Amino acid sequence: MSAPADEREHHAASAALDPYAEHRTQRPARFLYALNPLVKLAAPLPLMVVVMFSRGIALPLAFIVFAAAVLLIGARLPGRAVAALFLGIPIAALVLGVSFGVWIDPSSVADHPAASVTLVSIGDWDFTLAAYVVGFATGLRILAILLLSLIAGVTSTGTEFVRSMVQNLRVPYRLGYTALAALRFVPRFGHELEIIRAAHRVRGTEVGRGPVAAVRRALGYIVPLLASAIRHAERVALAMDARAFGAHRTRTERHLSPWRVRDTVFVACFLAVGIVITVLTWGR
Amino acid sequence: MLPAPLLDLDRVSIRHEGAEAATPVDVSFEVGRGEVVLILGPSGCGKSTLTLALDGLVPHAVPAALEGTVRVAGLDTSEHPVGVLSEHVAMVFQDPDAQIVTGTVLDEVCFAPENQLAPASEVLERAERALKLVGLWDRRAENPDTLSGGGRQRLAIACALAMAAPVLVLDEPTANLDPAGIDEVYAVLRELASERDHAVVLVEHNLDAAVDIVDRVIVLDASGRLVIDGPAREVLRERADELVALGVWLPVSTLAAMRLRDAGVVLDPLPLSPAELASALDALPSLPAPLSESSPVRSTALSPRPTLSMGAATGALAVVGETAIRARDLSVRRGGRRGPIVVEGVDLDVAAGDFLAIVGTNGAGKTSLLQALAGVIPAPRGAVEVLGVDPARCAARERARRIGFVFQNPEHQFIAPTVAEELAQGLRLQGVPEADAAPRVEAMLTRFGLEGLRDQHPFLLSGGQKRRLSVGTALIAGAPVLALDEPTFGQDRARASELLDMLRGLNDDGTTVLVVTHDLQLVADYASHIAVMSDGRLLGVGPTVEVLAGPLVEQAGLRHPPLARATRGLARHTAWHAVTRMSQLPVSSRAAS
Repeated sequence: MSAPADEREHHAASAALDPYAEHRTQRPARFLYALNPLVKLAAPLPLMVVVMFSRGIALPLAFIVFAAAVLLIGARLPGRAVAALFLGIPIAALVLGVSFGVWIDPSSVADHPAASVTLVSIGDWDFTLAAYVVGFATGLRILAILLLSLIAGVTSTGTEFVRSMVQNLRVPYRLGYTALAALRFVPRFGHELEIIRAAHRVRGTEVGRGPVAAVRRALGYIVPLLASAIRHAERVALAMDARAFGAHRTRTERHLSPWRVRDTVFVACFLAVGIVITVLTWGR
Repeated sequence: MLPAPLLDLDRVSIRHEGAEAATPVDVSFEVGRGEVVLILGPSGCGKSTLTLALDGLVPHAVPAALEGTVRVAGLDTSEHPVGVLSEHVAMVFQDPDAQIVTGTVLDEVCFAPENQLAPASEVLERAERALKLVGLWDRRAENPDTLSGGGRQRLAIACALAMAAPVLVLDEPTANLDPAGIDEVYAVLRELASERDHAVVLVEHNLDAAVDIVDRVIVLDASGRLVIDGPAREVLRERADELVALGVWLPVSTLAAMRLRDAGVVLDPLPLSPAELASALDALPSLPAPLSESSPVRSTALSPRPTLSMGAATGALAVVGETAIRARDLSVRRGGRRGPIVVEGVDLDVAAGDFLAIVGTNGAGKTSLLQALAGVIPAPRGAVEVLGVDPARCAARERARRIGFVFQNPEHQFIAPTVAEELAQGLRLQGVPEADAAPRVEAMLTRFGLEGLRDQHPFLLSGGQKRRLSVGTALIAGAPVLALDEPTFGQDRARASELLDMLRGLNDDGTTVLVVTHDLQLVADYASHIAVMSDGRLLGVGPTVEVLAGPLVEQAGLRHPPLARATRGLARHTAWHAVTRMSQLPVSSRAAS
């Protein structure tokens, strides 16, 4: 497999992509960590749908504040993440406003009260405040959905999700744990692709520019990558078989992930707040 | 009635789907508790296939037909699923990375007992015992990726032990490891063997590491038939000639003693380890003088029979003695400008005609150095010069005319649908007209024994053919310098020997060869010069004999090759202290003439 000297790089790459990175030492004593991982996905999900179909600025903004508050209270975030929450989110919203705004058809916002305020004009194209406001709202919706999904994302690991899907949703364990094992392939194949690209460069395949040559090059990477992927997957499958994977209908769970009263309470409270926010801000 | 043996094979033949002949054929043996059995045989004899049959993977998970019966603790494997059989047999495979499926060391060891439905408390108990035995208990919370190769293979052994099966089957467990990793794994296996709790079945070609822990040897011949089954030390000593004739690899010390016996120096019994060889040599009152470096006698640990070299036909392509590669203050970062420094401040000159081996432990920066020298990864401007150009900054065709690079896995480099096209591609890059290219492709096909395969898809070649083709593609543009990254990694001795003999042939014809490797006996036998790396720095570079006689190898955290270990400590024969390669051993006057 990896050339020894490349190993450090390989490790660095896989650490960045480590889907298992448990909160290994003592678990932080914040309430989100004590909840069933499915709860943290199930509660925000309806709210994400509401955000998706909303219009205007008030509703997504309110949900951003709500989700950020839950994260700040319920999770132990590193200092950098807190800074990103307070600085990064507003900046991202402002920037997204521009990048979505320029794509908006001016005629569709012509009857908006701010349509007459032109911010920039290039030739006969005007970037109006109305376009910016609509773009800004779109940006806010995306950020709200992102923050709502972070509630689950930052406080539970891939392993925990699979564990509770197997235990609470009766997803077959063969499927869940195989998917988890397959996550290991991602950094491995990324690393392998690097090597293949270098190997092809040495053969002089970088001649030719433009999209056609690029597609041809990419096709050339597929065969060796696929060959080694299949071989690797076969070996992993043999190793899992040899370790009795799939031998019984269930497997021992060392960590139970039950659905407790507090999980139901969290869902109820979360949705209640969500409904209140929706009622107060819908259409504004 | 006696209890059933742990493993009982009766006339077992296995034929892979699509294969013409069955290997192994008609194999019968039993394995009892506490035995440590080594299975030997030339490559292709079906050793690995046989191990897959021991826990039912053949026929249940691998498409192959099994004849005869394999009984595991009395259970016929063809009638019981792998899951049931895995209660009795645990497996460890060659590639440590292909055995890891979870995110932490502890989860990994618990994986099998959890599948076996052991109660949670027992799962943890077994995991703790297994991890303590392999010395990984303190690292149980870590991601397995952070372990070294040897560490990951020890983890695989712990995973097998946690299954609480009385039989442990290991298929080439150290083939992908560096010397330090091999030592780690054998330290664990030695402890297991001494506890006598498990029966161990081992397939291993590195006999120097395995010989002192096995009690019994089973030998298959090239067609897959069982030819020898007996106590390890007796078989290896008394039937050594028979084993060599079968194409089975023996410990380097044994091969050296057989060489000496042919030269009239009889060591009886044959030594199996460097220590035994040393004490046998010291027991002799006198020894003939070893051959000098410049003698034309050729022999290596891979092909120990002495032959005379054909006389150097050097100078065909490059002027020998001129500098082919020159590096000054070469530093390399991995992964962009902010990445870690993996090679630091290397000054190196490689003379045309050298056979240079770059050695070091895992992570010492060997591969990065080689890639920077060959322009595969960029080095700082002006740090590297290959025959007058900066290889990372010149056009691909300019580079291909000067230096060829062969990656560890030849498949990575194939870009064409046929073997002939693969070779023609290099000439097209040089702008050679089709009419002129055809005879050169033809010549290359003949040179590497691929004439009959010109229209074959490169991926369908055998392992050895793929390797030869990749060397051919690197050389077709006329490059006088060839760089190879770990060319023998994960290969058995027969294939390693084929490749290295080919490299030596090229080197004899004047090609400058650079290899990265961690097999120091190969280095001792083949390389003219050694560069020793440690922590990204070049500790030193010099002629092979001088480097192996000096302290650099140990400073870099490596162990001397077996022959050097035996001769370094000789009390009586000080003239032999510098003997590190097989070709330095004396030959009989008859063979030398």
